[in-house]
Amino acid sequence: MIAKKNKKTASAEAGAVSKFALLREGFKDPFFWSKWLVVVAFLLVVLIFGALSPEAFLTTYNLNNILVASAIPAIIVVGQTFTVATAGIDLSVSSIMTFGAVCFGLAFTNGWPLYQCIIFSTLAGMLCGVMNGLIIAKRQINDFIVTLGMLSVAAGGALVLSDGKPRQIIDESLANIAINEFVHIPYLMFIAFGIVAIAHFVLFHTRFGTHLLAVGGDPDAARAMGISIVKIKVVVYSISGSLAGFAAVLTISRIGAAEPAANTSILLNSVAAVVLGGVSLFGGRATIFGPFVATLLLQALSNGLTILGVASYYQYIAVGVVVIVSASLVRTSNK
Amino acid sequence: MTSAAALAFAAATSPVVNAAPKKLKDIRIAAVVKGLDNPFFIGIKEGIEETALKYGVYANVQAAPGLNDDIGQANKLDSLAGQNYDCYIVIPISSNNLSQAVGKITKKGKTVINIDSPIDAASLKAAGGKVTSFAGTDNFAAGKAGGAHMVKAIGTGKKIALIAGLAGNVTSNARINGFKEGAAGATFVGPENADWDTTKALDKANAMLLANPDIAGFFAANDQMAQGIAKAVKAAGKKIPVYGVDGIADALAEVKAGNITATISQYPYVMGQMGVQACIIAAQGGKVPASTITPYYIIDSTNIDKALTNKSTRGFFPNQLPPGEYKNPYASKIKK
Repeated sequence: MIAKKNKKTASAEAGAVSKFALLREGFKDPFFWSKWLVVVAFLLVVLIFGALSPEAFLTTYNLNNILVASAIPAIIVVGQTFTVATAGIDLSVSSIMTFGAVCFGLAFTNGWPLYQCIIFSTLAGMLCGVMNGLIIAKRQINDFIVTLGMLSVAAGGALVLSDGKPRQIIDESLANIAINEFVHIPYLMFIAFGIVAIAHFVLFHTRFGTHLLAVGGDPDAARAMGISIVKIKVVVYSISGSLAGFAAVLTISRIGAAEPAANTSILLNSVAAVVLGGVSLFGGRATIFGPFVATLLLQALSNGLTILGVASYYQYIAVGVVVIVSASLVRTSNK
Repeated sequence: MTSAAALAFAAATSPVVNAAPKKLKDIRIAAVVKGLDNPFFIGIKEGIEETALKYGVYANVQAAPGLNDDIGQANKLDSLAGQNYDCYIVIPISSNNLSQAVGKITKKGKTVINIDSPIDAASLKAAGGKVTSFAGTDNFAAGKAGGAHMVKAIGTGKKIALIAGLAGNVTSNARINGFKEGAAGATFVGPENADWDTTKALDKANAMLLANPDIAGFFAANDQMAQGIAKAVKAAGKKIPVYGVDGIADALAEVKAGNITATISQYPYVMGQMGVQACIIAAQGGKVPASTITPYYIIDSTNIDKALTNKSTRGFFPNQLPPGEYKNPYASKIKK
C-alpha cells in the first residue's frame, strides 16, 4: 500500500521527488540491506566496544592490531567470494595455505631469493586451485566434495614435503611487512586492500566478472550464451588457490615459520565472512566490499571480547551467535 | 661524544622494566595459553587463576581460538599487549608464532614469562623480543624416564610399539625420541601417528598387534592415546604394559583400575603457578630466575593412591601437585 502511495507521489511530482523515491526503493531492495547490514553491524560492534572500553579498544595501537589481524583473512575471503559467487565453495583454502607455506619454506631453505619464494608459493597455491577447477568443471563433481578432497590432499602434500617439521624462516625484510606501518595502517592491510580493490574491479568492471556472475546465477543460461563454464570455474578456483598461496607468504611474515599443520579456523572464518558480507551461497550475487567489512567485523569482535576479558569459552558462543543472527537477517531481507 | 650519544640512545630504548616496584594488589597479569579443548591447558589456566587468587593479584587468562590457530593466538596476544598489564604469561602454539607479538610487548617495557613450550630463541631475537623466565617440562627427559622404567619392567631386547601424536609435532617427537633413548636395546615398532586421539590410537594399536603379535609393551605420547591402546590390548587378550604421558584424570583412574600400567605425569597446574610467581617477582622489581624445569613423575600402581588424593577443582588433573618434592625457584623470592 505504501508503495502504491509512493508511486503516485513520485509520478505526480516527478523530478525532485524521484530521487527520494529511488532511495525509498533502494531501502526496500533486499540486496541493499544484505549489502549494508554488515557495515551497520561493524559500526555497532566498534561503538559498543568503544563505549565499554574506550581507553583500550579505541586506541590507534589497538585499531592497528585489528587491521593486522584482518589482513590475511581478508585476502582469503576475496578468493572465497569468487568461488561462492559461482555457487561453489573452496574448502581447501586453509590446506592450500599450508601447502604454499611449506613450498615457500623449501624454496627459502634452498637459498632462492625472496621474490622467487613468493612466486613459488603463489604458483603452488594456483596449481591446487587449477586442479580443483578442472575436476569440478570437467568431471561435473560438486564443488564441496572436490575441495573437501583437496583439503586433505594439500594437507598431506604439505606434510610429505616438509616431513612434518616446521621450517624457521628468519628474514628481516619479510618480517618487516608484518611489523611496519604507514600512517598507522599496517603494510599488510595495504596489500589486502590492493587485492580487494583489484578484485572489485575484476568482478564488476570486466567481461570476466559479468560472465562469472552469470555462471553463478544460472549456469544453463550462461552456457546457452556461449560462456565456457569450465574456463570460469578453473579461473575462479585458481584465483582462490593463488590468493591462499600468497596469503601463506604473509602468514610466514607474521609467524616467522612455515608450519606444516593446517589452520582450519581461517577456512571457517572465510566462509562466515562471505555469508555475513551478503554474498548469496546460491551464486550469481556478490560484493567484494561486504565480505571485506565482515572480516573486519569478525576480527574486531574477537579483539574486543579479549580486551574486555570475556572468558574464551563465551567468546566462541558470542562469535557464533553474531554469525548466525547476521546471516539470518541477510536471509530474511533476501526474501 | 659518540659513546655518550650511544649511551643516551641505549638508555632511551632499553625497556625500563618496572621502574617502581608494585604492591601485590596492583599487579595485573595477562596470560595467553593454547586451546582450551585440551585438559592440559585447562590445568595451566587453573594454576594461573588459583595462584593469582592466593597472592591477591589480578589475572586475565585467554586461550587461542583453536588448538592449531597460530595466527589467532598471536592476534589475542596483540589485543592484550595494548592494555595496562605488568606481565604476560605465554604458551606459543608453535615455537615461532608469538615472537612478533612478544617483540611488541618487550618494546613497551613489559615482562614476558614463557611457560610449557619454549619460544624459539632465534625468532625471538629477530623480532626484538625478550623472555624474562621460562618454566616448562623437558619432554625428552620425561619420555626417557618412561623408556628406562618400561625396560626395567619387561627386560631388554623386547619389541616395543610406539604411538605418536600429530605428525611433526615437536612435543610428540621429543617424547618418542626420549623414550627410544631411555629404552635403548629394545626394538621398536612405529612410531605411528594417532593425532593425540583415543579412537585413532585404538585402531593403530589393533593393526600393530595383528602385524606384530610379539609386541611386549606400548608407549603413547599422551594419555588419551594410551587409553585407546589399553582397550586394544585388552581386546586382544594380552597382558602387556601400556605407558602414557600427561597424568590426566581419566588416565589416573585407568592406572588405578590396572588398564594403563603407568603415566608419566606432568603438572600443568605447577607451570601456571610458577608463571604467576615469576610475574610477581618481576613486578616487585626482584631478580627472576631465568628458567626452570617443571617436575614430572612416573605414576604407577606403587604411588597411584597418593597421586589421586590431590584433587583439583575441575578434576581434569587430579594431581595438581606432584606426590613428592619438587624444585620451585620462584616462590621464595616473592615479597609479601
